Amino acid sequence: MKRIFAIALGILTAIGGFVDIGDIVANAEAGARFGIAHAWVLLVGVIGICAYAEMSGRVTAVSGRPVFDLIRERLGPRVALANLGGSLLVTVLTLGAELGGVGLALQLATSVNYLLWVPVVGFVLWVALWRAKFSVLENVFGLTGMALIVFVIAFFRLPADYGSLWQQASHPGPPTGEDWGTYWFFAVALFASALTPYEVFFFSSGAVEERWSTKDLLTSRINVFVGFPLGGLLAFAIMLSAATVFQPLSMSVDTLSQVAMPAAIALGKLGLAAVILGFFAATFGAAMETGLSAGYTVAQYLGWNWGKLRRPRDAARFHTVVLVSILVGVAILMTTIDPIQLTEYTLVFSAVALPLTYLPILVVANDRGYLGNRVNGRLANTIGVTYLIIVLAAATAAIPLMIITRMGGG
Amino acid sequence: MLIGFDLLDRQILDRDGEPVGKVDDLELTYDDTGTPHVTALLLGQEVLGHRIGGTLGRWMAGTARRLSGSADRPPMRIPIDLIAAVDSAVNLSVHRDLLPDPPLETWLRDHLITRIPGASHES
Repeated sequence: MKRIFAIALGILTAIGGFVDIGDIVANAEAGARFGIAHAWVLLVGVIGICAYAEMSGRVTAVSGRPVFDLIRERLGPRVALANLGGSLLVTVLTLGAELGGVGLALQLATSVNYLLWVPVVGFVLWVALWRAKFSVLENVFGLTGMALIVFVIAFFRLPADYGSLWQQASHPGPPTGEDWGTYWFFAVALFASALTPYEVFFFSSGAVEERWSTKDLLTSRINVFVGFPLGGLLAFAIMLSAATVFQPLSMSVDTLSQVAMPAAIALGKLGLAAVILGFFAATFGAAMETGLSAGYTVAQYLGWNWGKLRRPRDAARFHTVVLVSILVGVAILMTTIDPIQLTEYTLVFSAVALPLTYLPILVVANDRGYLGNRVNGRLANTIGVTYLIIVLAAATAAIPLMIITRMGGG
Repeated sequence: MLIGFDLLDRQILDRDGEPVGKVDDLELTYDDTGTPHVTALLLGQEVLGHRIGGTLGRWMAGTARRLSGSADRPPMRIPIDLIAAVDSAVNLSVHRDLLPDPPLETWLRDHLITRIPGASHES
């Protein structure tokens, strides 16, 4: 059992990246419109986040310094401030969207409008971050989020046309009726969400919260190489089951209840219950991840005391940032903005932060002053540099694609 | 040691490994021959704001100055001889309690955080 809990950090981090509210819907929408022609994007995303999360876990375990410390040390206060601004905006907007996502999951279960749930969810989230132990939070929400595995089971119970699915996966491109612009918009969105900056901030800060040291390098690697592929698998299962159910009917998906449909069709009430539980845990887990990340990044940029391993009175500034972020998140949602669209907008701000996050990690992972003989090998550097180029390309393409395709609508 | 690369913007830890702040700027003193020597680490958002410069930097410095309570309060200063070692962080030889408390932390602790139930509990 201890072994299972040891990978909870990796699983929770991956859930925030791959199956948070925006991704749950984006994956299902991509599945319904394009089949599984975006399967390769998830694979590329999983490899990229694995490579960089492994580097940041290693840097943190060996040097004891979380990632945002290094960003300011290596890029200087000005560029790091630009990164802080960009990633904080992404993180807080995503936090708002996740609160809405938890509300939507509760709306599925109770038929009470999600907007009524949002303030309640915000309060419960704050209490959890104020009082609960870090390890309790990651164990409960990391493992409950795994209920989404029901999409994998559902897929095998559905009468799928394996031939045409294979055809879509092996010949990436838009089907008739869709254009390349929209196809690439979805590709960039799915890729960027796999590599959102708050994942590495949360993972490395979580490693400090769990007091990882050099002897935990193996734990760090297991977390990375089990957690993120598992997150990618859940995302893929959602895409796959949507492709099986909706694509043959040419139906589009844009609400959370439609995403749940394939599991309900294949497994009945029990399947639906598992999906709702999974949605709840995944979105609440992502809300925790983003709420804490907001506090982590600001505190680490300015050198403040931070973390759940201290009493709130000993990390007053950190807890104030977390509290304010949750309030801002709730306030954004209360404008009745669509939480699912909100996460798609965060992509634009991700564009600024992504390269500025991953470049310093790659630089420090090669610095013997920090890592001694545990610096990057040739494989890690090859993957690291390749992904830096992909990230730059995705960052440059994101905004034009968004405008051309009107957020993938065109 | 390159001060721009090995000292500036590093995390400062006290003798127990607790965070104190960042090396936001350095105090240089010139000796008789005109050679500069680093004599102290300077901390706080006010010095950081001056270093960042521009409108944003001025705004950061101004806000930090207003929050500190008095306009002419000097920045927090840690003499160089309190540094025990520099590795991935700047490690001090003293305990944090011997250094002045950051004003924003004190203010938020006294006015907001400790007024919420559970602030002093280990979680």
